[in-house]
Amino acid sequence: MASVSSATAAGPVRVSSLGAAPGEGRVIGPVEGQLRLVGPGLGVLRIAPGSAEVAVLMAALDPPVAAPPRSRAAVGVEVVVEGWRFELEVEDAARASLRDRASRERGGKGHGGATELRAIIPGRIVAVAVAPGDNVVPGQQLLVIEAMKMQNELRAPRAGVIARVIVGPGQTVDLGDLLVEIG
Amino acid sequence: MRATGKPRRPGSRTSLHKDTPAPPFVRVLVANRGEIALRIIRACRDLQMESVAVYSDADASAAHVRAADDAVRLGPAPPAESYLRMDAIVRAAQETGSDAIHPGYGFLAERAAFARMVEGAGIAFVGPSSGVIAALGDKLAARRAALAAEVPVVPGTLEPAALQPDRIDGLLREAASIGFPLLVKAAAGGGGRGMRRVERAEDLPSALAAAEAEATSAFGDGAVYLEREIRPARHIEVQLLGDRYGKVVAIGERDCSIQRRHQKLIEESPAPGLTRDERLTVHDLAVRAARSVGLTNAATAEFLYTGKGRFYFLEVNARLQVEHGITELVTGLDLVAEQFRLAAGRPLSEAAVRAAENAATSIGHAIEVRLSAEDPSGDFVPAPGRVGRWRMPAGPGIRVDTAAEAGDRVPPDYDPLLAKVMAHGADRSTALARLIRALDEVEVTGIQTTLPFHRAALRHPCFHAGDVSTDWVADRWDGPAERRRWQPLAELAAALAAIETPPGAPQSVSTTPEKGSGRAAEPRGWRRTALEAGVERWPR
Repeated sequence: MASVSSATAAGPVRVSSLGAAPGEGRVIGPVEGQLRLVGPGLGVLRIAPGSAEVAVLMAALDPPVAAPPRSRAAVGVEVVVEGWRFELEVEDAARASLRDRASRERGGKGHGGATELRAIIPGRIVAVAVAPGDNVVPGQQLLVIEAMKMQNELRAPRAGVIARVIVGPGQTVDLGDLLVEIG
Repeated sequence: MRATGKPRRPGSRTSLHKDTPAPPFVRVLVANRGEIALRIIRACRDLQMESVAVYSDADASAAHVRAADDAVRLGPAPPAESYLRMDAIVRAAQETGSDAIHPGYGFLAERAAFARMVEGAGIAFVGPSSGVIAALGDKLAARRAALAAEVPVVPGTLEPAALQPDRIDGLLREAASIGFPLLVKAAAGGGGRGMRRVERAEDLPSALAAAEAEATSAFGDGAVYLEREIRPARHIEVQLLGDRYGKVVAIGERDCSIQRRHQKLIEESPAPGLTRDERLTVHDLAVRAARSVGLTNAATAEFLYTGKGRFYFLEVNARLQVEHGITELVTGLDLVAEQFRLAAGRPLSEAAVRAAENAATSIGHAIEVRLSAEDPSGDFVPAPGRVGRWRMPAGPGIRVDTAAEAGDRVPPDYDPLLAKVMAHGADRSTALARLIRALDEVEVTGIQTTLPFHRAALRHPCFHAGDVSTDWVADRWDGPAERRRWQPLAELAAALAAIETPPGAPQSVSTTPEKGSGRAAEPRGWRRTALEAGVERWPR
């Protein structure tokens, strides 16, 4: 695991999914368990002395693929357990809650909460059904992304007015690319 | 356009023994990518034939390009600009002196116009003739042909259901007589593409429009038709081979009931639980449907089975099937090699005839899972990305067909299939045990795959009992819950990895909470969290 650097102090940590909303995640402390590294990126996890072991695959997420890290102090780790892949961020719990408080105070008098819709899969835009200024209702189709020959419809998560349409038909988008903004 | 390729191996076409029959062809262009291109190139080498790969820019350094004797670039990544360019592929075959083109599955495999163009260029098309593809590849024509041969078909329309203003009322009447829910299917379709499920009449027009658009994009043909949805049912298909002398045989059947979005996830051969009579019945129906259109080369007839000997014809896929490998394991045949010999005009091989005679009493059992870049906790949506670690299983009774490698980018432009993991054994339980063991050996990072689904499905008591249906995934798979079970362990591993750990040194990590730190939530012990999450089964 030489590739995973340690930026957190020993102590309670908060683990959150990469790209999760601020304040989400779980605080773990004390961090009990044993992680034996048996090869590059391959660990054996034991949650308590004498318990069964679980094989885990790990890799550093650097740079994180879907979103910039929320904090320089956070470590991005990819963990695969039983075939399930998790992209996680680990940071010092105290520092994380301090930052949350700061961002809450900033957010109080901030912007009016535009909803940014991002690509959840990479692919090609085949149709755009809305234009800036359009009123949309929840569930209304906004655009269609084709990936691996399947057409995936992106629908409005809430009612609102389209503020921006960032992409056009024929354009290739990557995971996490901004597509549409609902005001 | 032509890649430099590798130098021809001197004497690579020399027969190993003087008794070895001449290779069916000199040089074969493989008009596909991924695992199937590699599979076909291997058959070429086994038969002492040279192979020519084609590739898009996304695949310039892919395994199939490196494996072939020569390689020709087709264009940018989108299929329409590369693997679907019929003229460019035929030209590549001519320029490389190829005397045969194998289309694999997908892409141009069932495009009659392509087969016609290949035939017209004086090159052998390794598959049914263009005329047969037109008759079988058009699912509507195939339904009509099957009915004419007295093979029962799934109730539905026999003509295209075109979305035209003056036809809406007629379509709605037809739909009502078929009954809801029904399926809108692409006449040129397959693999669930261009397909929509419709529960209510008012949703029919939008479903028709969506299916037409997807079918046009995927196949270049927007014709769709309506078919009753038969549920629950098992999906059973019959492998067919035919020569130019009118002989068509069935080489056993496969059960492909475990599907998601009409895409197969697990396949096995023979179909579990069928009586010998039922197997003979479905083999006979398949041969009848195929013979009615004069099938040559290889094809697969698909049926829905609702029990008690009732089979409903779905369609014939006029090509090599993704899951052909399990039939190979059970019969000992090399179906791709058989295709080459048949395409060269040879009669059905003795081995194929023998396999057909024993098709209802086969010995041994094979099961396959399709490992795909899809998220089984998110409705199996494609999950392209870059492969990190890539370790495939091996050992007794295991065959893995793949072209993926560590560091590969899985492009969003193509089918998400990464690997076909197959297990063979003397009986079903042996094959199953081997496949479960094999999947425990799989290690993939960087992309989410369908591995967790396969591990869970193969361990499910219903699967062990052979109790499978096309509703299996919807009824018995809760992907989000399965994923949640493992989240606490993943988080613990991440926390332990992030806390100072000297690299490589086996050591215990244990920390205690700081006093008085302003924590957002009450921390909990990890053992308790993991146990409460229901983590009881440990892979090792």
